[in-house]
Amino acid sequence: MLRIVSSVSRPTSTGLLGKVAVTTHTPHNGRRSFSSTSSRGADITLTVDGKEVTVPQGSALIQACEAAGATIPRFCYHDRLAIAGNCRMCLVEVERSPKPVASCAMPAMPGSKVFTNTPLVHEAREGVMEFLLANHPLDCPICDQGGECDLQDQSMRYGSDRARFHEITGKRAVENKDLGPLVKTSMNRCIQCTRCVRFANEVAGVEELGTTGRGNDMQIGTYVAKTMDSELSGNVVDLCPVGALTSKPYAYHARPWELKNTESIDVMDAVGSNIRIDSRGVEVMRIQPKTNDDVNEEWISDKTRYAYDGLKFQRLTTPLIKRGDRFVSATWEDALAAIADGLAASGAKDDEIQGVVGHLTDAESIVALKDLINRLGSDNLALDQPGGNAAPVHGVEKADAILLIGTNPRHEAAVLNSRIRKSWLHTGLEVGLVGERADTTYGYDFIGEDAKALSNFIAGKGPFVEKFKNAKRPLIIVGSALAEHPDGKAMYNDLAKFVEKNKDKLVTPEWNGFSILQRVASRPAAYELGFPKFIYLLNADEVDPKSIPQDAFVVYQGHHGDLGAQLADVCLPGVAYTEKGVTWVNTEGRAQLGRAAVSSPGASREDWKIIRYVFSWPIYRWGPLPYDDILEVRDRLWDISPTLVRYDVTEPTSQEIAIAGLKTLATQTGGAKVAGTPLRNLSQTSTKLILYQERESVTMAQCTRAFVKGENYGFTAFA
Amino acid sequence: MSFAKAFSPALREIRIIFSQTGPASAGTRQFIVSKYPDIKKHNPDLPVLIREATGTPARAFARFARGVEQHVELENLSAPEVEAKVAELISS
Ligand code: SF4
Ligand code: FES
Repeated sequence: MLRIVSSVSRPTSTGLLGKVAVTTHTPHNGRRSFSSTSSRGADITLTVDGKEVTVPQGSALIQACEAAGATIPRFCYHDRLAIAGNCRMCLVEVERSPKPVASCAMPAMPGSKVFTNTPLVHEAREGVMEFLLANHPLDCPICDQGGECDLQDQSMRYGSDRARFHEITGKRAVENKDLGPLVKTSMNRCIQCTRCVRFANEVAGVEELGTTGRGNDMQIGTYVAKTMDSELSGNVVDLCPVGALTSKPYAYHARPWELKNTESIDVMDAVGSNIRIDSRGVEVMRIQPKTNDDVNEEWISDKTRYAYDGLKFQRLTTPLIKRGDRFVSATWEDALAAIADGLAASGAKDDEIQGVVGHLTDAESIVALKDLINRLGSDNLALDQPGGNAAPVHGVEKADAILLIGTNPRHEAAVLNSRIRKSWLHTGLEVGLVGERADTTYGYDFIGEDAKALSNFIAGKGPFVEKFKNAKRPLIIVGSALAEHPDGKAMYNDLAKFVEKNKDKLVTPEWNGFSILQRVASRPAAYELGFPKFIYLLNADEVDPKSIPQDAFVVYQGHHGDLGAQLADVCLPGVAYTEKGVTWVNTEGRAQLGRAAVSSPGASREDWKIIRYVFSWPIYRWGPLPYDDILEVRDRLWDISPTLVRYDVTEPTSQEIAIAGLKTLATQTGGAKVAGTPLRNLSQTSTKLILYQERESVTMAQCTRAFVKGENYGFTAFA
Repeated sequence: MSFAKAFSPALREIRIIFSQTGPASAGTRQFIVSKYPDIKKHNPDLPVLIREATGTPARAFARFARGVEQHVELENLSAPEVEAKVAELISS
């Protein structure tokens, strides 16, 4: 931790220019990473504006200044990217240095005296601002960055009040680039800070984006025109300090000062990224990332960022009852009565009553549904894996060998993938893959694509075995698709035995190296709780219509009129994730609290409230489910699993318990036959990966056309 | 009571909740390590949920037909005591 020690020593006037230069400048290492996970050396102490401050060795001067409470303006420097040092906005004065130094590119030196608030520094900043603005277009009124533009803000604070440049030939002009349907470019505004280039190359693994030309001719782009094919591309919009890269779907929709910000949790994948929902009135205008070092750092995937427009279409707003072949709107009372009649008419009892929990379901409503189904005397499906199978998203960076089985994290959990890449770049991480080959943005050893390859690996054959054996913190990440694969059981059996055999490395008190990567937000919660001629579909759209018997009575509760709703006899309108404050559990088992940003449309209600009232008539001998408000539901969650209400932390599984669970897994899956079908990754367009909200999203449809099919997505005219 | 047998079908679910490290949960942990494989072996379809969270009091829940739940506190009990309590719980 950075900490201020004292503020005793005062600045001396001898610290100004003209002293003999003692060269403290060491060539900086561009690969230095200041993220929370980098290892730290000893601490050093220096003085900033008379304040003594202690920072870890290897920190940049700019970090030391921040720690001392001095704000340093910057454009190119970013905590999570390599250092470029090319904007010069961060100049500070260092004692015995002949010129002002760029504090981001200069390592903090023990004992040095730094000044951030002297006339020289002010003049230097003013000069830099003047140069930057000399060629920057004056289009702030029509620029989408307006109100959240670093250039605007810093020119107000540090710039001069007049310009001395009048270019007779006009300002520099640069052609716009077409980066795809998500990122809009206006390259005249670019100040060549190269944040976008560094992000694309380091974090996203899209190496096409770069700079061409020099000086006045320098341009950002892909050289040969190409869209930016990355599932993290939206982050460059946040990184760009000016309006050169802005969001295309959000173009001209709102100004930042009109928006209400609500911090919440994303549900598009099982990473549980922290997000900020920006809304105006009842409309979600955009989704921005919120920093959480343990989960998503500062990034979110494009799906998280751009699928929100699907929330506006095809919503269920009133209860619907099917009459003949069409749905008619009904009141809540009539709909609930219709469900009660339906149950009676179907004659379903005990396990014939089935609850199906779909993607995008929160922990509260899953618990409510479980209680409801149990009350009706049914027990359909319970999955009782000990919690030890949760994938530690954070642990990924600590691992030194990762074995991926039947998963392509790039598409299933993009932000997690960026962490694997980060670790692969900066440490000696080795990755092995059993499953379909894919472009993962990092190198891997391909082991094979079926159950046989896996058992060969476990038997100790192949080149990756050695690497995995030598690793100190090996990690196995099993894709959730494995459970659905015909050979899944056999592979689980192999794995359980393998993990048990190598438990001194894979399951130790401080390391759990066996994890399952869940695909969607509610899967971990459904596993946690245990769930499968009366069917209650809770947000479940991935059901196979053929698996539902003709004469069954189907209730669908959800927020979109999609596949599940088509099958239903009664539809109950629930609300979407931006409209409710509920608990979401991510793939590590981390419970996080989402918050409602906008009100829900029409007569829709929060999901647990709906479930609470289904079958609450006196004839059922019981009243509504025994919780009156969300806090009582959470008390119930606490009884079911205390981890569900332990917000923002992951609860580790103890070693013995994990091993007991593995033993059981091994006996349960014992003797399974191997069919030898190869494992297939879910393709980007597979319905399993695409959630129904996304199916309604125009932006996501354009992405599919541009990135998956490689067509012209029809948005170029806007660029 | 021995746990190496099939339980009554009226029993629908067992949940055991305790702390990973707390000394008050030590008996419960021991109980799970020794008995969980047995229970699962003889009751492969019975959901047994084991949930750990730092500092939670050790408890066991049994759910019977129609959502009726009973629970016992296992805080500060030794492994044999936990065994007795759980046996009593699931046969209640
Ligand atoms: S486009 Fe934006 S982020 Fe990229 S170099 Fe230009 S100003 Fe920097
Ligand atoms: S922030 Fe230091 S040179 Fe750009």
